[in-house]
Amino acid sequence: MKRKFLRRVVSGLLVLSVVAAAFTGCGSASASENSSKDSDSASYRTLDEIKESGTINIGVFSDKSPFGYVDENGDYAGYDVYLAEQIGKDLGVKINYVSTEAANRIEYLQTGKVDIILANFTVTEERAQEVDFANPYMNVALGVVSPENAVVTSLDDLKDDDEVIVISGTTAETYLTKNYPNIKLQKYDAYAEAKTAFENGNGVAWANDNTEVIAFANENPGYKVGIASLGEQDTIAPAVTKGNETLLKWLNEELETLGSQQFFHKDYEETLLDTYGADYEETLVVEGTK
Amino acid sequence: MDFNVINEYIPLYKNALLLTLKIGWQGILVSLFIGLIGSAILYFRIKILKTFIGIYIEIFRNTPLLVQLFFIYFALPKIGIVLSAEVCGTLGLGLLGGAYMIETIRSGLESIPVIQRESAASLGLNEMQSLWHVILPQAISVSVPGLLANVIFLLKETSVFSTISLMDLMFTAKDLIGMYAKTIEALFLLVVFYLIMLLPISILGTILERRMRYGQFGD
Amino acid sequence: MDSLGIDVLFKGTNFVRLLQGLWISVEISMISVAFSIVLGTVVGMFMTVRNRIVKIVLKTYLEIVRIMPQMVLLFIVYFGTTRVFQWDISAEAAAIFVFVFWGTAEMGDLVRGSIKSIPKIQFESAYALGMNKFQTYYYIIFPQTIRRLIPLSINLITRMIKTTSLVMMIGIVEVLKIAQQIVEANRNSSPNAAFGVFAVVFLLYFIVCWPISRFSVYLEKRWA
Repeated sequence: MKRKFLRRVVSGLLVLSVVAAAFTGCGSASASENSSKDSDSASYRTLDEIKESGTINIGVFSDKSPFGYVDENGDYAGYDVYLAEQIGKDLGVKINYVSTEAANRIEYLQTGKVDIILANFTVTEERAQEVDFANPYMNVALGVVSPENAVVTSLDDLKDDDEVIVISGTTAETYLTKNYPNIKLQKYDAYAEAKTAFENGNGVAWANDNTEVIAFANENPGYKVGIASLGEQDTIAPAVTKGNETLLKWLNEELETLGSQQFFHKDYEETLLDTYGADYEETLVVEGTK
Repeated sequence: MDFNVINEYIPLYKNALLLTLKIGWQGILVSLFIGLIGSAILYFRIKILKTFIGIYIEIFRNTPLLVQLFFIYFALPKIGIVLSAEVCGTLGLGLLGGAYMIETIRSGLESIPVIQRESAASLGLNEMQSLWHVILPQAISVSVPGLLANVIFLLKETSVFSTISLMDLMFTAKDLIGMYAKTIEALFLLVVFYLIMLLPISILGTILERRMRYGQFGD
Repeated sequence: MDSLGIDVLFKGTNFVRLLQGLWISVEISMISVAFSIVLGTVVGMFMTVRNRIVKIVLKTYLEIVRIMPQMVLLFIVYFGTTRVFQWDISAEAAAIFVFVFWGTAEMGDLVRGSIKSIPKIQFESAYALGMNKFQTYYYIIFPQTIRRLIPLSINLITRMIKTTSLVMMIGIVEVLKIAQQIVEANRNSSPNAAFGVFAVVFLLYFIVCWPISRFSVYLEKRWA
C-alpha cells in the first residue's frame, strides 16, 4: 500500500516536472526567438509569398456590426470588411476571412495565423510594441452606453457593486483597468455575448469604442450614450505581424491611394450611414494618410 | 520566460483559483443533492418522477455545458428570467453534474446485493431506513471513486465559464494574453494552477479506489 | 416581446449555415474518434506491458489528460506550439490533435481494462499452441474485447461532439459561433433572437448526440 502510494506521488511529481520542463524549454526557446526575430520570417508571410499563394488571410470580427459581421447569407460585411475586399482586389488574391475575438488579435498576428488584422484595431503604444500598424482609416475614442432610465454620465458616479461590461482584449478594458481600478468589470469574450448580456441587464453600462456604443444606442431604442468620449482620441488602423515590412509598405501605399480617391467616405456611406446618419462622417473617417 | 511577469500574474491566478473553487464546489454540492434525490427516485422506481428523471439525464448528458450556459445566461433573460453569472455558473454546473451523479450513485446502490435489503426488512427496518442506514453507506463507499471522477470532470468543465463573464482560471489566462500578449507565461501559470487544483483530487481518487476494493462485503 | 426569434432562422441561409456549423463539429469528432481508436488500441496494449519506464510514461500521459481541461490543451496546442516551434497549424488541425490526444488516452485505458479482463490462461494456451504475440492478440484477444469496446467508443463520439463546442474559442466557426453571428446580424430586427437561436442550438446538439448515445447503450446491453 505504502509503496504504491509513493509510486503514485512520484508519478505525480513526474507529471509536474515534465510539464514544467516543457514550458521552461518553451521559455528559453521563445527568448532566443525574440532576439532573432528580425532574421526569422517563419511567423509571417511576405507580400510576395502571399501573392504567390493566391490567398490572403485577413482577421476580422464576425459579430461586430456594422464594422465586421456576417450577414444572413453567410457573407462577411461591414466597414472593415469593405476595406478588406478592396485590398484583396488590388492584391489580386482571394480572401480567407478568419473570425477573431478581440483578445486574440495580437496572438493571431504573432503566430502568423493571419496576414492582416482588420478588426477595428485601435492603435495604442502597448500594441505597437507587439505588432506593426499601417496608416489609420478611422477615428475612435472610448464611450459608455447605458439604459435610458439610468444613464451613467460619469464613471465616478458608479456605486460599489455596479458592474461595467467590457470585452476582453479591448482598449476599453485596458483603459478602465489602468485608470479606474476600483470599477468592477464584467468581461466577455465576444461582442455578441457582451451585447446580449448588456441587453439582458447584467451590467449597468457597457464601455467600448465610442463608435460602437453610439451605433448600439442608435440602433436599439431605450439606450443612451452617457459618456461620448473618454480617454484619448485614438485611431484605428490595419495591423500586420511585427517586422513584415513588405506587406506594411504595400498597405500604406494602398491606403494612401485609396484615401486620395475618397474611398473611406464611400465606405462610410455604404456601410455606416444607416447606423450613424451623415453627422459622424467627417469626425469618423480618416482618408488613409498619416 | 519572464519571471517578473509571472510574479505579477500570480495574484490574479490565485483569485481565479478561488472563484473557480467557489463556484465549482457550489455546483458540485448542487449536483450531489440532485444525484441523491434522483438516484433514490430511480432506486424506488417512483412512477412519474422516474420518467422525469430519465428525461433530465438524457437532456443534460447529451448537450455540452457551454451550450447549456449559453441558454441559461443569454436566452432565458429574453423570457424574463435573469440570473447573475455566479448563480448561472453554479446552476449550470449543478444540473450537468446532477445527471452524472445520479448514474454514479445509482450504480453504487444497485451494486449492493438484494439480500441486504431483505435482511434489513427482516430486521424490521422500513424502506427509507434500510436505504439510509444499510444500503446508502455501502453504496456511497462503492461510488466514491466514480464521484471523485465526476468532481474532477466538473472542475475541469469550469473552463468554459469565460462565456458568462466569470473570471475563472481559463478566462484569466485568455484575458491576460489579450491585454499583454505574454502568451507563454500566461499559459504556463494556467497549467500550474490546474495541476494545483486537480492533481491532489486525482491522487486521492486513485488511493481510495485501491482501498475500496478491500472495503466491500461478501466478495 | 412578441417574437422569440425562431423566425430569424428562416431568413436567408441562416438555418443551413447552422447545420453546416454542426457538420463541422461532427466531422472533427468523427476524424478524431477514428484516430483515437487505432492509436488507443496500440497505447492500450503498451499499458499492459510490465516495463517500468513505459508504465511511468503512460501513467503521466493519462494523468495529464485526466487533469487538463480540453480547452487548456486547445490553447496550448493552437497558440503555444506556434510560439515555440513556429509550427503553423490550422485551428482544425489543432482541434483534431487535442481530441486525438485525449481520445487515445481514454481508448487506451478502455483497451487495457478489457485486455486485463481476459483470463491469463487464454494467453498461455495460445502460446502453447505456438502462436506468436501478434497472432495471439489478433485471433484470440481482440475478438473478445471488441464487443465491449465498440459501445464505449461510440460513446466517445458523443463526448467528442459535445466537446467540439469549445473549438469556437480558437476561432473555428462552428454551430455556436454561427448562432452568435446570427443573433448579432439580427439584433435590430428581432431583439429576442438570442432565445430562439440558442434554444435551437441546444436542440440540435441533443438531436445529434442522443441517438448515438442510445445506440451505444443498446449495443452494450445486447453484447454484454
